[in-house]
Amino acid sequence: MKELAGRLSALDPDAGAAIQVIAYFDRLVADRAGLEAIVRGAAVLAGCPARLVDADRRVRVRVLADGLRQDAGPPPDPQWPTVPVPGGTARLWLERPGPAGPVGAMVLERAAAAAREVLDRTRGRAPSKGRREDPALVELLLDASAPREARLQAARDLGLAKTAPARAVALEGGEARIVPGSPPADPSGDLGGRRAGIGPAVPVLDLPDSWPPARTALRLAAEGTDQDPGPRVVYADELGGLAVLAAAVGPGSEPPPDVRSLDHAGAAAPWMLPTLHAFAYAPSLRTAAAELTVHHSTLQDRLAHAEHLLGWSVRTPRGRLRLQLAFALRRLHRHPV
Amino acid sequence: MSIDLPATPAPVGPPPPFDSELAAALTLMGEMPAFTLEMLPAMRQGVTLPHEELSRDGAFLVEDRTVPGPAGEPDISLLICRPAEVTTPLPAIYHTHGGGMIIGDNRTGIPDMLDIARELQLVVVSVEYRLAPEHPHPAPVEDCYAGLTWTAEHAEELGIDPDRIVVGGTSAGGGLAAAIALLARDRGGPALIGQLLLCPMLDDRNDTPSALQMAGVGVWDHSANETGWTALLGDRRGGPDVSPYAAPARATDLSGLPPAFIDVGSAETFRDEDVAYASRIWQAGGRAELHVWPGGFHGFDLLAPQAMVSQDAKAARVRWLRRLLDA
Repeated sequence: MKELAGRLSALDPDAGAAIQVIAYFDRLVADRAGLEAIVRGAAVLAGCPARLVDADRRVRVRVLADGLRQDAGPPPDPQWPTVPVPGGTARLWLERPGPAGPVGAMVLERAAAAAREVLDRTRGRAPSKGRREDPALVELLLDASAPREARLQAARDLGLAKTAPARAVALEGGEARIVPGSPPADPSGDLGGRRAGIGPAVPVLDLPDSWPPARTALRLAAEGTDQDPGPRVVYADELGGLAVLAAAVGPGSEPPPDVRSLDHAGAAAPWMLPTLHAFAYAPSLRTAAAELTVHHSTLQDRLAHAEHLLGWSVRTPRGRLRLQLAFALRRLHRHPV
Repeated sequence: MSIDLPATPAPVGPPPPFDSELAAALTLMGEMPAFTLEMLPAMRQGVTLPHEELSRDGAFLVEDRTVPGPAGEPDISLLICRPAEVTTPLPAIYHTHGGGMIIGDNRTGIPDMLDIARELQLVVVSVEYRLAPEHPHPAPVEDCYAGLTWTAEHAEELGIDPDRIVVGGTSAGGGLAAAIALLARDRGGPALIGQLLLCPMLDDRNDTPSALQMAGVGVWDHSANETGWTALLGDRRGGPDVSPYAAPARATDLSGLPPAFIDVGSAETFRDEDVAYASRIWQAGGRAELHVWPGGFHGFDLLAPQAMVSQDAKAARVRWLRRLLDA
């Protein structure tokens, strides 16, 4: 019998190798091979260590180029070629400086596709969007008086790990959602573009504590229109003292004079509120002008006009804070609960 | 004694499925043509491992020694690899290489033997025996035996503990290792401490259920096996008068042998003859350790050394040797 050891690691980096990579992973999938076999295939075919990590499912598999499994390893290097495993939060790396090259890229793509099938089959399908939004499950998780076991089961059903952090999300219209706590990716796509307040990241059993801050953050989320400029998604973590301010502004409380002044100014021209908001939060007048796509001298003219209507100078630090607070108070009064 | 087969062989099922990683590794090999003797010259072409590579950066002292062959026959060559940093006598593996009795040289399979030798501090001696069909039985096995007796007699010079010699080999080399263990017993030759028989080729009859089951499948199928045995035995293959030193499965007495380690894949020609050999050693009151690796084709650990089942198979050999040599 001819000795063929090492043949696996001696693939030529040409088109033939890519076809062999496809055949290799197709065969693993057809045979319902496990995750370790898939990661090992990536390591052996690429000739370097490979790792797969799925934080949501608590999966970590790392295999060296000689096929030995060794889960411990250095933190991922940003230089390593990597791809997300489709349909979840898992990610696959080749542990060598990039770029992946044609064969490496094919290894990553095929191994990731194969890993997805195994993850879905053996660790539970990543929760579908519909499931993750199930209002009954979300309500249960946010209810501190519900039994602990029921809440843990709801967390599992929503695809949340017991110990992984999660955040409560308050959506306009009164709807609630749960999103993974980390990474704090921009979830606006998942929230349908609606106004949203996102609570602090907490263990799933503490989610009832994340809900009130989420609702406060929602009150400070803007429509994102000319009449209510500002971000449509607000993180409670970033509110600071505004949370105290929000508690002081309840339903039926009278808007303070600065809010009335802002409304008054806003009625004067359609550009007024977007211009003031951009200036209030931009690092400099020039960046505000660039954001508004007007010349900075035009912006100076507009601010002078605005100051006349408001009754205070917005171009001093003290005046700028007063303007920011006026915007915050205006939103709190527009969304009193 | 022979393997208990019904007079009319029961129909066998389809071949057992290959292990998934091994199957994937096979896809990298592409289509392999059915083996015939015409392919011999091409298959015998190959690079012989040089001393520099065998020394593993100085971990082994490597030499080729020419020593007497069987009485009246040509000299033979032994490859000797000794751990460089140890000066006291060490146990040894006397290695008979694989290659279906028709190909290979005394470097074939040596990298895996050196892996084991490095871990356990062993001397490796590997014999260059004459190949069939140019040199039919008994030339190959007598060359192997001559090298074994020379090694045992020169143990002190080689830094080998003569009481701790294991014979071992893969495939045809496993068959030859089993055969020289029988010869050593029957001729009062060297006292062996063990026999390491890796997917050994033992039975020229080529008619066990696994031999029939694997026809046309895998790395060493029914027809390749027939080609190899016919090269060694000619017309006598499968007949009534085949020597147990050619085909150890023919031995009627398996008592009095050194402890055996036998491994084999569940999806290969040799499965049933190797399982039977272990069973018959036990039935004769001997010691044997048998591993049948699920979904393994012939020589799976050489072709796909990284696969999980290959790692397990190799680790089992080291553990057996460790237990054997610790005692």
